[in-house]
Amino acid sequence: MLELNDLNVFYDDAQVLRDISLQVRPKEICTLVGANGAGKTTLLKAICGLLPVSSGRISLLDQDLLSVAANQRVSMGLSMVPEGRKIFASMTVEENLKIGSYVKRTWHEKDELLERNYELFPRLRERRKQLGGTLSGGERQMLAIARALMSKPDLLFLDEPSLGLSPKFVEHVMDIVQSINQSGVTILLVEQNVNIALSLAHRGYVLESGRVVMQDQAHSLLNNPHVKEAYLGM
Amino acid sequence: MEKTPTALLLKHMRVTNPLPMWAVFGVLALLPLFVRNDYYISIITLCLIYATLASTWNLMAGYAGILSFGHQAFYGLGAYFSALITINLDISPWLALPLGGLFAAFLSLAIGLPCLRLRIAPYIAIATLAFSEIMLVVCKNWVALTRGEMGLSGIPPLTGWQWGDWFAVSFSGGTKLPSFYVMLGIYIVAMLVMYWMMNSKVGLALKSLREDQDAAASLGIDITRYKIIVFLVSSFFAGVTGAFYAHYISILAPESVFGVTEMVEIVAITLVGGIGTFLGPTVGAFTLVVGLELLRGMEDYRFMVYGVMLVVVVLLLPHGLLLGFQQTVARLKAILRTGKAQ
Amino acid sequence: MFTLPILAEQGVNGLVLGSMYALVATGLTLIWGTMKMLNFAHGEFYMLGGFGTYFGLVFLGLPPWLVVPVTVALVFAVALAFEKAIIGPLMGRPGWDISTVVATLGAGIFLQNFAFKFWGGDFLNVPYMFDGILRIGGMAFAWHRIYILALSLTVIITFWQFVKRTRFGMALRATAQDNEAAVLMGIPFRRIYTITFGLSASLAAIAGSALAPIFSVNPWMGMVPLIKALIVVILGGLGSFSGAILGGFILGVCESYSVLFLSSGWKDLISFSLLIIILVIKPSGLFGAKEW
Repeated sequence: MLELNDLNVFYDDAQVLRDISLQVRPKEICTLVGANGAGKTTLLKAICGLLPVSSGRISLLDQDLLSVAANQRVSMGLSMVPEGRKIFASMTVEENLKIGSYVKRTWHEKDELLERNYELFPRLRERRKQLGGTLSGGERQMLAIARALMSKPDLLFLDEPSLGLSPKFVEHVMDIVQSINQSGVTILLVEQNVNIALSLAHRGYVLESGRVVMQDQAHSLLNNPHVKEAYLGM
Repeated sequence: MEKTPTALLLKHMRVTNPLPMWAVFGVLALLPLFVRNDYYISIITLCLIYATLASTWNLMAGYAGILSFGHQAFYGLGAYFSALITINLDISPWLALPLGGLFAAFLSLAIGLPCLRLRIAPYIAIATLAFSEIMLVVCKNWVALTRGEMGLSGIPPLTGWQWGDWFAVSFSGGTKLPSFYVMLGIYIVAMLVMYWMMNSKVGLALKSLREDQDAAASLGIDITRYKIIVFLVSSFFAGVTGAFYAHYISILAPESVFGVTEMVEIVAITLVGGIGTFLGPTVGAFTLVVGLELLRGMEDYRFMVYGVMLVVVVLLLPHGLLLGFQQTVARLKAILRTGKAQ
Repeated sequence: MFTLPILAEQGVNGLVLGSMYALVATGLTLIWGTMKMLNFAHGEFYMLGGFGTYFGLVFLGLPPWLVVPVTVALVFAVALAFEKAIIGPLMGRPGWDISTVVATLGAGIFLQNFAFKFWGGDFLNVPYMFDGILRIGGMAFAWHRIYILALSLTVIITFWQFVKRTRFGMALRATAQDNEAAVLMGIPFRRIYTITFGLSASLAAIAGSALAPIFSVNPWMGMVPLIKALIVVILGGLGSFSGAILGGFILGVCESYSVLFLSSGWKDLISFSLLIIILVIKPSGLFGAKEW
């Protein structure tokens, strides 16, 4: 579904990503793990068009993504839940959700999509008229995910969703991610919490210093000695 | 998507190499050997006035990060104070110059102190603008003192002197040369003081201040003290320049020194030349003042072309002429070295 | 001297003037909130609104209901073109915060002198669009001023609803609050910037057009409104829409009443002193500088 070939990304003069090649297969949960600074967020941002790519190819369903402007990639079925949630603090919960359906493809359906997301996230319905800035960390994560769903994506990125959340909440989030996947959305999950990520995903990639160093079925990675030592503290 | 604000680019005020500065001084000092025409000399004097104003503004805005839009207030205060004490109190114009500077510096505290609390650029800009507009209103309306919009005329020029029969320096005579050298002197002193400041403890403190105010504060650097020093030095020289202007032109009107137009000039000159660079404002002053003169032939279209030129320059050279020039030179060197374009 | 009719009249005059300040200030705060830049040619869009009205009413002899909308539309178009050609490209480059200042300064100088070239430097009179005076209980209000008040209230309310409810309005607010997140929603922020800039100029032009009969037009008529608008924006809180409107009315009323005590030359001191006071007491303004 999504394919990256030999991607190279620079930040100022420093090379952050080197010759990245990976694939995300339809309907799967694919995860990208690695330490802080390995380049995971940079990679997601590059795919979304928020960072420039110096060389390489990105294709979504065989369509070249790099020739498409960043804000038009949403219309191709791509959506991201960014790191730090980035919800619109001065807009209400409901407005945050509505703006998620901004693209013409979904704008006229936004009321139905809104209902659907309120079913999935009842807590958000309770708080619909509240300003985004007044929500707790966990609620913001819910909002960010719901907002990303409002554009009816086929491919959903999640950038460090577990950050700053209590373990119980993280579990809750992961359950939601799983049910989203079961409803037919392909997921690319970037996570620092390697254990959780690999327990949830089908396949995984390990990123170190801007390079893909390992790729495999998720459960194989979980049992991989290097992964165990470096990331799972065993 | 990456939008870098200018503050993060201001690494260029290092000024560890004084050579370019001395070169500029030398060229300017020797200029009258090559340029005999009095009209050209007066243009260059005007350039020096703006170079000093812009350089002192640059000290505040580009170096200390205080984006002031009221710099012309100090220019005007120095001008009017100096003019009034020479006219009413019979004080020598030579003495009035530094006194004008001191007066401007003293009053600069009136706006400087409130501004210490403000950190965001737009607030400082608007507060300082309001300050200079207040000065303008006062100047226009306190008719008993300043003669309001009628302005002051007959301001005594700087007093000349005579050595024997063969050497006389006169400021009221035909040639503008002596005035040129006085303004050059003011410019050089101002630049040297600023150069010294930047390379001293004060300068280092200011540099860290500009980069990150909170980090600087946590290191125990007394931000307040350094900001005040910058205000005082900057406004002093702006005031002296104003005082010089008063005795040079001999007439003063409120709008010509306190007006927003002056501020726009100063800002445009600094930005075109390169904010945050040491010699940038000088480059900008000479470029824009001479440029405006060259456009004289265009008569009615003069200022329209001037406005267009500002836009064109900023589109082509977003960091100003000086840095643009340096970058071009650096790129040329790279090409020559590697034998191919980057 | 301070009879009720006079106080009421001055109050209404203050509201009229204030509503104009509110419009111009809203334009400024709109650009600041969305693009984080200060437009120094803003006063010149106000001026173009005035001159366009003069040109249409006096030169061409056309009726006001035609001249005003066409003038505003033309200013909108000019601002759109300027943003697309110059501001937009500059915003995408490093050092944008300064280069946009120079560019708008240059544009302002160009427009001022363009007006000077074609219409001269004198104050030109523009006829009142509504003649006559409304008399109620011993007070007199010029119909034109009532028109101005009605116009600005209509514009303000329309604008407020536009920003709050329409797709574009929501996209605008999103872009203002978090540019990156807005891109992730599929919002074309470059186009938002362009249209926002045009809208801002239109607000200024409406004010310029409405006030032209009262203050007459001249090439430099935009400079004072710009300074006043800057003050209002600080007064109300940078980036705050409601702050700009409330601040505008407050300033208008204060100035209007101050005429009763001070000669007109000193009246400008009111706005500047108000500003300094606010900055010393509560720099973030009445509503606190925040995103909207």
